[in-house]
Order: sequence, then C-alpha cells, then structure tokens
Amino acid sequence: MAELLQFVITGLSVGMVYSLIALGFVLVWKSSSVANLALGQIVLISSWFTYSMLAQAELPVYIAFPLVVLFAMFLGWVIERFALRPLIAQPILSLIAVTLGIGYFIEGVITFIWPWSVDALPRLFPREVIHIGPAVISQEYVWVIVICLVVFVLLTVFFRYHKMGIAMRATADDQMAVQACGIPVTRVFSTSWMFACCVAAIGGILISSIGGITHGLVETGLKAFSVVILGGLDSFAGAIIAGPIIGLAESLGGGYLTPYIWAGVKDIIPFVIIIIVMCIKPYGLFGEERIERI
Amino acid sequence: MLKLNNIEVTYLNVIRVLHGVSMTVEDGAIIALLGANGAGKSTTLKAISGLLHIEEGEVTDGSIEWNGERIDKKYAEEIGKMGIIQALEGRHVFEHLNTEENLIVGAHNRRDRHAVRQDLEMVYDYFPRLKEMRRNTAGYLSGGEQQMLVIGRAMMATPKLMMLDEPSLGLAPLLVEEIYDIIRRFNTEQKTSVLLVEQNVRIALSISHYGYVMENGRVVLDGTADFLKNNEDVKEFYMGLSALGTKKSYREVKHYKRRKRWL
Repeated sequence: MAELLQFVITGLSVGMVYSLIALGFVLVWKSSSVANLALGQIVLISSWFTYSMLAQAELPVYIAFPLVVLFAMFLGWVIERFALRPLIAQPILSLIAVTLGIGYFIEGVITFIWPWSVDALPRLFPREVIHIGPAVISQEYVWVIVICLVVFVLLTVFFRYHKMGIAMRATADDQMAVQACGIPVTRVFSTSWMFACCVAAIGGILISSIGGITHGLVETGLKAFSVVILGGLDSFAGAIIAGPIIGLAESLGGGYLTPYIWAGVKDIIPFVIIIIVMCIKPYGLFGEERIERI
Repeated sequence: MLKLNNIEVTYLNVIRVLHGVSMTVEDGAIIALLGANGAGKSTTLKAISGLLHIEEGEVTDGSIEWNGERIDKKYAEEIGKMGIIQALEGRHVFEHLNTEENLIVGAHNRRDRHAVRQDLEMVYDYFPRLKEMRRNTAGYLSGGEQQMLVIGRAMMATPKLMMLDEPSLGLAPLLVEEIYDIIRRFNTEQKTSVLLVEQNVRIALSISHYGYVMENGRVVLDGTADFLKNNEDVKEFYMGLSALGTKKSYREVKHYKRRKRWL
C-alpha cells in the first residue's frame, strides 16, 4: 500500500512535468503547425541556465527564477525571429528540419559552456519528508505537482480569456483570416514560441530538481512527444491528461515489473501504451478532429 | 477616401491579373464591384487590404491611396490598423472558437476593453441570431450564421472601410436580403464605407450608390447604381434580362445578336 502510494505520487509529478513540456510542443504546433524538435534541448539548456544562476552566481530563488523565465522567453523569441520567420511560407518539412538543427546547435552550446555534463541543482524545496498514511514521500514531488497545476490554470485562463490567447487559437484555425482581421501573425508566432520555451524551461527546472541535470534530459523532450501523440497533437487538455498517464505507467510499471522482467522496462511502457492508443484513436485521446459540415 | 490609381497586380512576378484598375471609394458610400469569375475582383480587394503579399502577389504599377497616404506597399496588419478591414470570401470563421471569441478576434487591435464590450452589443444588435449562438462552436454554425459571423467580425474592428467579398455566396435568397439589409443599416448608422464584391448584381446594385464592372482585370464600365441597373449590357449579361426587362427566353437566344458595347 505504501509502495503503491509512493509510485502514484512520483508518477503523477513526473507525468505533470511531461505535460508541461508537452504543452510547449502543442503551443507551437497549434499556432504554426511546426513540430518543434528542439524541445529536449531547450529543456536542458534552461536547466543548465538555472544551475548557473543558483549554484554559480548564487542568486536567491526569487531572483533566479524570473531570470530563467526571461531567458527562456528570449530564447524562444530568438529562435522564431532568426530561424523560423525567414522561412515563413516555405514547405513545412524545412521548418521542422530547422528546429532539429536548432536542437543540435543548442546541444553544442551546452557542451561548450557546461562541459562537465552532469550536476545537481541546489535544493529548491524543503528537505523534510511528508507522511501520507503509511507512505513516506519526499516533499519536492508534492511541490512539483502544485506548481504544474498552477501553470496549467494560468495557461488555461490565458487561452480562454486573454485576447492574445484567443488570437493564438484563431491562428491555429485560419492564418489568412487572422491577417484579414489586421492581426500580425508574426507576433502570434513569436508569442507562441516564447510561451513554449517558457513552459519547457519550468518543466526543465522541476525535473532537474528531482533527478539532477544530466544529458538524459534531452530525452524528456522525446517523452513529451509521446505525451503529445497520446493526447492529440493540437490539444492542450490532451497534453495535460496524457502526461500523468505516461508518468503513472512509467512509475507503476517500472516499480512493479522491474524485479520480474528487466531494468529497462520502465522506458518501454509509455511507448507500448501509445501504440495501443494510436491503433484505437489515431487522432490521440483528445486530438481535434476536423469539423466538417455536410 | 480610398483611391486606386491605375493599379497593376502581378502574381509570382509573371502572372499579371490586373491591368490598370482605377476606382474611388468616397467616405460613407457603398460601392459595388461586379464581374464574372476571374475578373480580378477579389484580387483588387486583396491589393487594398495588403493580403496580396501572402499570396506572393504585388502591386507592380500605379498606387493605392487611403486619405492621401500610399498604402500599396504596406502589410495587412498596418492597413488593418488604418481602418480598412476585409471579410474574406467563403466564410473563413475560426472553426474551433465559439461565436463570441470569433468576434473578439476581430477587435484585436482595439485598445480599450470597454469599447469592445459595447461593440459586441452593437454586433449582437445587428445580428440577433449571433447572440443566441454566442457560446456555440463556430464550425457548427449554419452557412448563413457563419456569413453573419464573418461580417460581424469585420464590424468589430470598427473599420472606416469594410470590404466584403461575396457575402451572398451560397445563401438562400431570403437570407441574402436579410444580410444586405443589415449591411445597409450598418453603413447609414455607423457611416462606414463599404466596398462590396458581388456576383449577385441585382442585390448589390439595390443597396450601393456607385458600381464598377470588371472584366479580365480591367474596369469596363462604371456609374451610379441607377445608371448600371438601366444599362443594356449589364441587364443582358449580368442580370439575364432582355431589352424589354422581362425574363430572357433562352430558346430565342442567338449569341451573336448582341455584342457588349465596351468591347
């Protein structure tokens, strides 16, 4: 029982971080139908940047955190402005290839600036453990869940009520008509990239506060893709719900099956789930089907 | 006042579709732009609204002036801010947004939220149907409601010049009349000039003050609505009426019988 509760909490919190990163993907995909393949690298560089702010510059969290957010937004703006905007109206495949290139570029920059490649973030959350019934859970998991929920709520409110959020959803539907309304789509694109990098960065901080910074963080980008595919490429709700599913599958499957099968089973389970879901619902769990009036 | 001076539009640097189009839209007027498919009506609108850039088209000669300022090299968003808004042909609603959100997108460039609320009420006043549907997903509205939504969205920008591209497309005659009544009311009450592209010549001339007839990228005829309504060629070729004003009998048609005067 205690074990189960532990697996559930860790699964949920890691899964929610996946959701955050996945939201970074969905944001860009929805407004400009570009698949952002540099997501994992953006997560990694934001984590390293956080490390530099906290451990090397020794800034307090309340200064470092806004700096990281600013850094991520700046990164998003630069990527959109200098790598993608010149390619507007080009075939979508070249745009996707460009994001792949950006990813490798960022990786290069990372090994240049932080060549030691493994480190731990200073503790962000209190050290004391929490007792829930029989289970002992380290506090950071609970904090991660809380922070993710707050970000989800903020994003939902933004997209539902803020005019820029509404304009971003509108751009996803019909770029031409958005321009006919006198809205600069280029600004919509750069906003979506800034937001995407921002949530990816927050995800990066949270996950590296649990597991430390390693090169493996790039793979969380891959996990985020599986979340996105499971939830539906263009669905915010899908990403938010699919994240915990993947997280739970990982931690429960990993926790209970590893002793019987082999150690890597944890990493395979999410993909098995995806294959099964894809067979049944090809749009993903919550993907938008095309509205067709007959 | 909008002034087109002899503009030429070329797509992809080679395909010239407008060969010297000139027209004037006075403040507060309703101007109809008539013509068959492929005459260049929509291209003219896109040249004015700046949407041409997206389709790799360009105004290669002549000039477009809005209140004395040249706008033919400007982008759609700048032109939109100057008060010229185009409603695209074929009901480009944002399918996954609800009705009200669609309208709010139209008011994106407005600064004060309070006025946006008021405009929302104004649009609902013109289109009571939209108010009933305010929470419905736009993609599932009927064709007429979608057309109303597109016009309402253009109204939300409180434009000085509203350009409508075939608002009657694919709608039942009754609905067309309703929509045209609303356009006329909007024009008289808000003093917004309207530039109207239409295939439905009869209804377009019924509300407009002045009209231009286009063919093959040229303006071949222009005049007041009354003049155009009574013009033999317009009647014959665009309204399907013979000289007597009765419905044409196709049995008696000899295609060489009458030539267009402007050719």
